[in-house]
Parts: sequence; structure tokens; C-alpha cells
Amino acid sequence: MRRTLLAVLLLFPAPLRAQDTTRAPGGVRIGITYAPLTRASVAVVRTAAAPWLDSVRSIVERDLDQSDRFEIVQRPSAGDVQSLIASRAADYVVQVDTAAGGTRVLAIEVVTGRRVQQAQLPIAGIALPGGRRAVHRAADDIVRGVTGTPGVAATALLFVRGGRLMAVDADGYGAREVRAAGRPALSPAWSPDARWIAYTAFVPAGQPIVLQDLATGAREVVPATEYGLNITPAFSPDGRRLAFAHGTEAGTDLYVYDVARRCCVQRLTAGRGFADNLSPAWSPDGTRIAFISNRAGSPQLYVMAADGTGQEVLGRFDFGATGPTSSPAWSPDGSAIAFHREVGGVPQVFVLDLATRSVRQLTGAGRNEDPTWAPDGRHLAFVSDRSGAREIWVVDLETGRLRQVTNVGGARLPAWSPRLSASEGRE
Amino acid sequence: MSRARFWRHACAAAVLLAACSRNPQPVAPAPAATDSAAARQRADSLAAAARRDSLAALARRDSLARAQAVADSLARAMAERARADSVRAQVLREPDSAAATLMPSGLEAARAATLAEPVHFELDRSDLTAEAQRRLDGKLAILRASPRLEIQIEGHCDERGPDEYNLALGNRRAAAAKRYLVEHGIDGARIGIISYGEERPADPGHTEESWARNRRAEFRLTRGVR
Repeated sequence: MRRTLLAVLLLFPAPLRAQDTTRAPGGVRIGITYAPLTRASVAVVRTAAAPWLDSVRSIVERDLDQSDRFEIVQRPSAGDVQSLIASRAADYVVQVDTAAGGTRVLAIEVVTGRRVQQAQLPIAGIALPGGRRAVHRAADDIVRGVTGTPGVAATALLFVRGGRLMAVDADGYGAREVRAAGRPALSPAWSPDARWIAYTAFVPAGQPIVLQDLATGAREVVPATEYGLNITPAFSPDGRRLAFAHGTEAGTDLYVYDVARRCCVQRLTAGRGFADNLSPAWSPDGTRIAFISNRAGSPQLYVMAADGTGQEVLGRFDFGATGPTSSPAWSPDGSAIAFHREVGGVPQVFVLDLATRSVRQLTGAGRNEDPTWAPDGRHLAFVSDRSGAREIWVVDLETGRLRQVTNVGGARLPAWSPRLSASEGRE
Repeated sequence: MSRARFWRHACAAAVLLAACSRNPQPVAPAPAATDSAAARQRADSLAAAARRDSLAALARRDSLARAQAVADSLARAMAERARADSVRAQVLREPDSAAATLMPSGLEAARAATLAEPVHFELDRSDLTAEAQRRLDGKLAILRASPRLEIQIEGHCDERGPDEYNLALGNRRAAAAKRYLVEHGIDGARIGIISYGEERPADPGHTEESWARNRRAEFRLTRGVR
């Protein structure tokens, strides 16, 4: 009973507060809660009659909704932009129409009449290659124009289902297989430029780390990973290095490969006894690496400098009763690390605030694991079985709003992409 | 192993093999004895020749052993390289091509079954229980009796832990089973290890019994008795 009460308290660590306006735009801080009533309202209207504009309008509207920064004014009818503006029914109006043979997405701040954002999409239909992505980018730019931080609709998630690599757009559209070496293929990771992915490939002769060019499908094996167990690759934020775990008969240790020079593998951790060190997560400035180690018994969260020095346990937080910990992910602003930890034998997603070393439990329903940050630093995707099967869900850390991304049955190990252009991250 | 180091080893082995395959230097035939002094001289020279011969034989034996050791390590290095090459080749191909082929063991059925018997582990543990050691002892006898046998030990986990942690745990389980066999006299070069984490359950269920069956090391023959 006390445990339940504690869990409830952890789930709602602070009462809803008004938006903290002392923060710089874009300086997202975990724990600051936007009271829903203070969010700007937006109406997305179609003002021309081209056949594809309804699709564009509804994609933009849903993207703005899923940015969790707007209240959506529902179902404005076409052609009444002036009355919307006159009546001040919304703080912002986004107008979708045609221009120069393509599509125009125009955002207007109602009070001032200022054009917040205007996107000219060189497309006359979203079914064209890159069409949806271009619309997502337009929506993300509107979020940037209003809040200072772009949205994350023009992103995708890699994940694993049934041993196969899959990708899905961040809005849940287009779950598709990424042809990969090996079965299973595990632990997919994006390069920061979204050109490359890295993953563990189980081929008959070994378990190497594979670098794969997403556009061409060209593959290479990371040197030294032809031998032993090789898992949890992670690109450094500048894309020049790749950290990974390499297992031998003496345990599992972290190594880093110089991707930029395609040369040289350096060892970062030294096994004591048969310890496992795995799941490296780079700090966004590239100077530190968080990782999981069971050197002291149960797997826990550690951190070290990127050259392997200064290894220390990163908080054994709750009353000596800390459960096995796994899958760290460093937030894009550097202020927090998300991970999952067993609570009563069931994994739950937590966020550790590095400044205060305080921990916040985000989930409580079902099994919840393998968190991965959106580039905006306020959305977190994770795997949850709360719907009955393992699917990818996204939580907005500021409002606690949840949405289900996949509906594939058995999604695992998600990795959220950087922002993607129309052509990037295409498989 | 780097390419340069590999070729240094290869050259060293080639030089040694060439050296020991060369015919020994013939001893010069002694002149016919004409007097006792000459006979003594001849005896001395014969003794010296005999000493030379035995030293040469010793040296030959020694260099043969060294050459054999180098040749063995060369063969192992080449096998490792071939394996690394096949890893790279398999990555470039599409998946699912090579299913595990069944190795004809050449063992009688009962011994093959003993060798294949899985070893089980406690939750999140890689140390060997008394029962696990008993089963490994059964395999020890077979491996000792058939020195050509080579095996691969696969480490597996139940589905409960984190996917990636389970790969490391499965690796530790396979390594623990191998270590036991090596500590009891089996050449480590005969035993490979691999981890499948929770990816290949023996039992698809979600009960304690299924999980217990899935926390295991499996033993697969990679080279038969013939």
C-alpha cells in the first residue's frame, strides 16, 4: 500500500504550474509544467480547393497538436480566416493554400497580424517522395516561429520488431522494414546527420556492429567487432566517433571507434572480474558518456569522461533499494538522463535531473522501457506494453500527455532520429 | 590481428618450416686409420661428430616443436581471419541465408545427447550450480575421450531483463561454462562462445517454468570426431 502511494507521488512530483517565462525560449527544463490553459491556441484552415490540401491541413494540424505546445481550435471551416482573426478565436491561424503550383503554409499571429512562418512547399501532393516530410518540416517551423524551438514532426524512429529493423515516422505513419544484415538485427542507432545507422547484426559467424548507409544500403563492419559479442553502438554528437560494447570471455567492456578516420578502436572500460559495461550514451557536448555497469553487482548507471577516465556511479538514488537499471539516454540539452529501472521486477522509465541528482518516475502502467529523446528535449519515446502488446509510446514531459506511435505488435529498442530533411533518413 | 602482424607470423613460420625441412649437414668421412694415434684421432673425431649429430638432432627437434607451435598458431590465426572474413561477407549479403547446419558428430547417440544437454542458471546469474557442474562433468569425459571434438557454447536468457543487458549476461553464462571446461583440462581453442540473450528462447511460454528452461547454455558441435 505504501509502495502504491509512493508510486503515485512519484508520478505526479509537482502540481501543475504556470509556464516559467523566465526561461529562454528553447531552454527546455524538465519539471517545468505548462498549465494547459496558458498554451497558445491555433486554428489550421484550408483556404484553397486543391485536392491534396485537406491532407496537408490535417497533417499540419496534427503535428501542431502533437507538439504539445498548442490548443487546437477544432474544425474551422474553409474561407473564414478573416472572421477567425476578427473574432480572435485563436492566437494563431495557419492558412493552407496553393501558391506557384505548390503548397503554401502560412502562420499568422492574430493579435499583431505578423507572419510567424511561411513555407512554400515545392509539391502538389503529399504522396510524392518527401512530400509528407516537407509538410512536417513546415509544421515544425511554425512551432519554431512561435516558441523558438522547432517541432519534431519531421523525425522518425528506428526500432526492432521480430528481429528485423523497422522505421516509422514520429507521427506513427509508414511503419516499414529497413533492410539490414543479420537476424536478429538489434540496437539501432542514428548518426547525427541521419545518413548512417549502426546496429548489431547476428550473422552465422558472429555478432558484429554494422554501419549502414540509409540511402544506399551500403554496409561496413566496425573493425574488431568481427569477434565476440558487439552491442549498443552510439554515435558521438559530432558523428566522428562510435562507442559500443564488446564482449569477450572476460566480460563486456566499452570501446570507441574513430568513425571519421575509419581507424583505431580504443578501450574505455577495463573489466574487473566478469563485469559487463554496456549501453553508452554520449552527453550532447561529447565530453562524457553515461553507461550501465554491473561491476558492483546489480546493473547501475555510471558516467565517465569520453576518454574513459573518471568513472563514477551516477546516483544510487532511492534509499538503497535501487532496482537493476538499463538503457540510459542523455537529453539533448544535457540536463537529464532518462533510463529504465525495475520497480518490483517491472521496468519503468525514469528521468534523472543532473543538476539536482533527483529522479522522477514517468511511468507506472505496465512494463515501460528503453527511453529515447526527441530532438526537442521535451518528448521521450519508450516501449510500453500497456495496450497489451509492446508498442512505442511518446510522452510530453511538460504536460504528461501520452500517445501511442506504433501499432505493430512487439516493437522494441526505439531510437529517435535527428531532424530530417525531405531526403534524409530515407531507407 | 592486424594484416602486418599476420604476415610477420606467416613469414616466421615459413622460415622455420624451411629450416627444419632442410637435410642435416653430412659428416665428413674419416680417413683410414694407419696407427694408434691416428685411430685415437679418428675415435675423437667420431665422438665429436656424434656429439654434433645429437646436438643437431636436439636442435632439430626443438625447432620442429617451435615450428609446429608457430604453424598451429598460424593455423588458428588463419581460421580466425577466415571467420572474420566470413562475418564481413555475411554482413554484405542479405540475412537469413545460412541456417545452422547440423554437424554429424560421429558420436554414439548417448554421448551426443550428453554433450548437447543444456546447462541451466539462476535468475540474473552466471555462476554454475551443482547440477550445472554435474552436467559439465559429463561433457568433460566426452571431450577428453575425443580430442578432435570442438564445440560452441551458446548463452541464453529468459525474457525478463533488458534486451541488451541479456546479451551480456548470456555471454557471461557461455563464458562460465567454457571456463569450467578449460579449468578441467580442455583446450580453450576447442570451445567457442556466443550469446543470444533472450532472442532464442527454448520455451516460448511466460511462466516461471519457461523462464527457468530459457536461462541456459547450449552446446553445439562445430567439429565432429572424424
